[in-house]
Amino acid sequence: MIRPHRLLFTAAALALSVCPAWAGVDFSHQIVPILRKHCADCHMGEKKKGGFSLNDRVALLKGSENGPVAVPGKAGGSRLLELVLSTDPDEQMPPKGARLTGDETELLKAWIADGLPWEEGFTFSKPSYEPPLRPRRPELPPVVDGRENPVDRFIDKYFSDRKLPRPAEVDDGAFLRRASMDLIGLPPAPAELEAFVKDSDPGKRARLAGSLLARDTDYAEHWLTFWNDHLRNDYAGTGFITGGRSQISQWLYRALVTNMPYDEFARELVAPPKDDSAGFGAGIKWRGEVSAGQTVEIQFSQSISQTFLGINMKCASCHDSFIDRWKLTDAYGLAAIFSDKPMELYRCDKPTGKSAVASWVFPELGNVDAAASRPERLNQLAALLTHKENGRFSRTLVNRLWHRLMGRGLVYPPDSMGMQPWDADLLDFLGADFQDHGYDVKRTLVLIAGSQAYQMRAATLARDADDKGFVFTGPRAKRLTAEQFVDAVWAITGTAPAKPDAPIQRGKPAPAGAAELQGQWIWQPLGAQQPPPGETLAFRRTWTLGGKPVRAGAVVTVDNEYDLYVNGARIAGDKDWQTIDSVPLAGTLKPGDNEIVIVGKNAGSGPNLAAVYFDAAATLEDGGRSRLVSDTDWQWTATLPDAAGKFPPGTVWAQASEINGPWTANKGGEIKSLLAAVESGPQPMVRAALMKADFLMTTLGRPNRDQIVTVRPNDLTTLEAIDLANGPVLAGLMDKGAENILARNFPTPEACIQWLYESTLCRRPDAAELSIAKESMGGHLTVQGISDLLWMLLMTPEFQYVR
Amino acid sequence: MNFEIDPTAPHSIVRRDFLKKLALGTAAALAAGEPRLLSAATGVIQPAPTADACILLWMGGGMAAPDTFDPKLYRPFKPGLAIKDTMSTFPDIETVVSGLRISQGLENIAKVMDRGTLIRSHIQPDLGSILHSRHQYHWHTGYVPPQTVACPHLGAWMAKVLGPRNPVIPPFINIGQRLEGVGEQEELKAFTTAGFFGSEFGPMNLPFPEAAAQSVRPPEGMDPGRFSSRYEQFKRLVKAGTQTSFVSDYQQESMLRSMENAHRLLNAKERSAFDINLEPKENLAVYDTGRFGRGCLLARRLVEAGARFVEVTTEYVPFLNWDTHANGHTTAADMKKQIDAPIDRLILDLEARGLLDRTLVILASEFSRDMMMEGKPGSNAADQTTEAVDVMTELKHYGLHRHFTAGSSVLMFGGGMKKGLVHGATSPDRPSVTIEKPVSVIDLHATILTAMGISPKTAYDVEKRPFYATADGVGVPVREIFA
Repeated sequence: MIRPHRLLFTAAALALSVCPAWAGVDFSHQIVPILRKHCADCHMGEKKKGGFSLNDRVALLKGSENGPVAVPGKAGGSRLLELVLSTDPDEQMPPKGARLTGDETELLKAWIADGLPWEEGFTFSKPSYEPPLRPRRPELPPVVDGRENPVDRFIDKYFSDRKLPRPAEVDDGAFLRRASMDLIGLPPAPAELEAFVKDSDPGKRARLAGSLLARDTDYAEHWLTFWNDHLRNDYAGTGFITGGRSQISQWLYRALVTNMPYDEFARELVAPPKDDSAGFGAGIKWRGEVSAGQTVEIQFSQSISQTFLGINMKCASCHDSFIDRWKLTDAYGLAAIFSDKPMELYRCDKPTGKSAVASWVFPELGNVDAAASRPERLNQLAALLTHKENGRFSRTLVNRLWHRLMGRGLVYPPDSMGMQPWDADLLDFLGADFQDHGYDVKRTLVLIAGSQAYQMRAATLARDADDKGFVFTGPRAKRLTAEQFVDAVWAITGTAPAKPDAPIQRGKPAPAGAAELQGQWIWQPLGAQQPPPGETLAFRRTWTLGGKPVRAGAVVTVDNEYDLYVNGARIAGDKDWQTIDSVPLAGTLKPGDNEIVIVGKNAGSGPNLAAVYFDAAATLEDGGRSRLVSDTDWQWTATLPDAAGKFPPGTVWAQASEINGPWTANKGGEIKSLLAAVESGPQPMVRAALMKADFLMTTLGRPNRDQIVTVRPNDLTTLEAIDLANGPVLAGLMDKGAENILARNFPTPEACIQWLYESTLCRRPDAAELSIAKESMGGHLTVQGISDLLWMLLMTPEFQYVR
Repeated sequence: MNFEIDPTAPHSIVRRDFLKKLALGTAAALAAGEPRLLSAATGVIQPAPTADACILLWMGGGMAAPDTFDPKLYRPFKPGLAIKDTMSTFPDIETVVSGLRISQGLENIAKVMDRGTLIRSHIQPDLGSILHSRHQYHWHTGYVPPQTVACPHLGAWMAKVLGPRNPVIPPFINIGQRLEGVGEQEELKAFTTAGFFGSEFGPMNLPFPEAAAQSVRPPEGMDPGRFSSRYEQFKRLVKAGTQTSFVSDYQQESMLRSMENAHRLLNAKERSAFDINLEPKENLAVYDTGRFGRGCLLARRLVEAGARFVEVTTEYVPFLNWDTHANGHTTAADMKKQIDAPIDRLILDLEARGLLDRTLVILASEFSRDMMMEGKPGSNAADQTTEAVDVMTELKHYGLHRHFTAGSSVLMFGGGMKKGLVHGATSPDRPSVTIEKPVSVIDLHATILTAMGISPKTAYDVEKRPFYATADGVGVPVREIFA
């Protein structure tokens, strides 16, 4: 039993310890509300009664037409305080309405005594720019020099209006690398470079974007990074261990690989039709209690505003924003749409006694019905967000795309869509064009990347170039994201991991009506009991091919574990039946008879169902096709093969039996689409965006996704450079990668050097570079020489930036 | 009384350098669109530092004050003992400070208690159901998660505002905490970062002190000759390149400068500070009680070489070390063996080298523990002990198995703190809540930052909002403990 205690006093002291009064005056939280409440009508914005404006500190210090009203540090004799305290109706301030309370005057006094601290850059005046909400469809400027792409028509006008020279174009190699890195996140292979340079078609550059974007999987697995950042989705992170957060990985992947229209995309995130897209809106719920400004409802308000509208609702989650027009009621209005119970408005974590009313930020387009049910409200919000008159929604996204491709947004930073764009007509055109063409993200990417403007050489600038206002003089070089860097290293060195961490099914989902699965789930015939844990059986079947296979692959899984042997060689294995494996077979199959053996093992703690599923397809040289699936034609034995996949003489085989279980219902779709992919060729390299962040990626700026991150750091830091110089992850990749490169058997060191330059920088070395590289490489090719030169190339700014 | 110094008074050299750095830093940061220091306009005056370096000894998992630095009613274990009848599981011992008693097992630290201040009234907020990593996030950043921006670690504030003491030694070094392969690793990573300051100010992580030397050596299997020649060739190659005109000079220069800084450390003589095996054998043996003890030695060597902020942790791993959900007495005895001799020697070593006066050493934990109470009186925190009994029958029941947030102990040595002082008190009776001079996390931060010469009101601009060194800039240093 706990005795009553002096605890109450302690608790009171604790509450005080967060009261700002202890530590001098807090301008933003204590003074701004007083000034706004009592002085705004006459002394803010355009109003300047008595010649006195309170818009900013300079105006305050200047005082009125009668001289200064407040001197920093001198509260005694301050005209401002005199007027506020005065009871003379002719001079008291404010002249009408409620007088200041005792607390309020004390705060003003303390503020003056403190030296009138003012938030830097803060002003009470209305912002000079208010962005349009509705879409605008500006007329296209005339075509100049046959440059017809609408982007170029705007940019050419921009240049001619400002009498700026049109920047030169980059060469083919730099252009190919730029487009490839920007659109699919991979460096072009030397063969692609050669083909592109050789192609004499003048339309090849304009066409490149389209052909890169047609690589659905590459596109999806590159832009996954962008969207994981914007939707703070990851495969491990804060909140997952306590079940306070859920992934949207599979939903997101499918949305990207199918190029889901962006309005539909946003609607499914805001008002999820199924659980698989709910994680973004639901946010992160920490175990225990959180401050009023960080509940999941407020997170919803902040996330929706930031990602889809470029609105910073973080200030307004706590109090009316000092920096833009958003108010506490706006933040809570969005939160209340999401909330499943009535919400009280908290200001600076203190209850106000007022209730939040579900509403959204642009009521001029309509509003949600606060009385409707939660799912209805979310649907209404989704509809308003993607309303055809909501130009802000499209502008926010096209600006983000422009930022990714051109290095700096038309509005910058891209989360501050209230700022003035440097070319409003171009932004509005792109937004409306995007909307008018079905919110097709790839189409807008082609529009931008197909322009001549995108082919301009990157602007080279001094660090402070933008201080006096941004001027567009060409695209900006962009630092590679961690994922682009790692993908490039993996692609060049052949060291990508075998399996993704992301719980997703790669590639395009099988089209509806794709061939039904033909295989059966097999095991030995069931006895009275289900198979015991640890039961291990071997299954076999001969696959006879009528010719040389040019493409072949199998989809295989076993509840619970398996090893797969083809013609005596173990080629795959897995301990988790939930992971369906696709195994390329073209190199291991031969014309004629092929022996397929699967050793399957049951797991668990008691008897439970076990089964093998195998489904393989091969395309032969003559175009003929062959398929082999697990069924009751397979044989099983309890005798297990040796390391070479051989069975002892006298092994007894019996017919396998079909087992009915829940597998096909759960995994059938995935198997179908993997099979479609495996038949069409080998799986593409596993990409960094599909992996959990490792030390190397963290080093290179992949963020912890507790918060939405829309702009990655642009500078390499010293600690990062130490990791690049001696970190074990990159060093390991260099060692293994150099062996792989050596195994390519280049005829001369020069050939290898050229290949390395083409692979990393998309160009050949010039004479001086070649001579240094040769010297570093030594007289003949070695793992060490290759590893060191590759490292040097990866460390160059030219590699680490998309220029 | 104004604790902040008079701006017209003469300052130390350190301070003048500091201001110069601030001026430069601000100009560069402004241009780069990085977090901007908001000091000029709001009139924040940086206090004169009483310490130049800081070592945080982190007792991860919740160190029970009644079994360490704030002993209470003790009853030895015997089957049938009711948990309500005892508050400590160790007898108390005397220390070199007259009248100050701490817990058995800390005999070495007892000898140096006259070099520091013991705060017995450190309190944490009630966050409802308790999650260690969440309280650790709060303790290390001063902000309760979740937050709308990634908050910088205390060490990152020092790295950002003060910069390195020696340009080749990273200013923020974190020793002993694995961030991979342990429970709650993502939650730990969330605060082991410079947050929105950017990774330049983030931690150099050295989870294994005995292997720290490897992190400043060429990669495994590469001899130093090859390592330096690779870098020399790289510089020649970059210089020879003719294709560099498509990236702005400042971008290239910043990248090349970072490479240069990195290689400077990797070739500097200070590198030897990372190698604890270079320590005389006798001294190494005193520190060698485990990873924590070796971490203390590494911290001392790094501070000697010029590190700004070093954290050494006993390591937080759920249900291990100080995180005693069962068998608390036995575990606490073991933990005390790990920390007692190394901390004593660390203080004496710093003193012998004349460093203690300007090095602030802090020992702290995310909260305390109690045998009966979870959270604090009135909290709705769910009980998390794995051995819920009212009457003990086995030794494993004997220990402080619940998380307690109303009164924990913090030790502060050197760096301008009073010597031999006890600040604040907890109740002698259960629940042993703070009854005198409560020190919140935010005020403790204000104290630490003030000692380092950083005003608790120092703010940076992020997403156009001020972000303060202590939440809302309201942390107040505990003035009474400054010498």
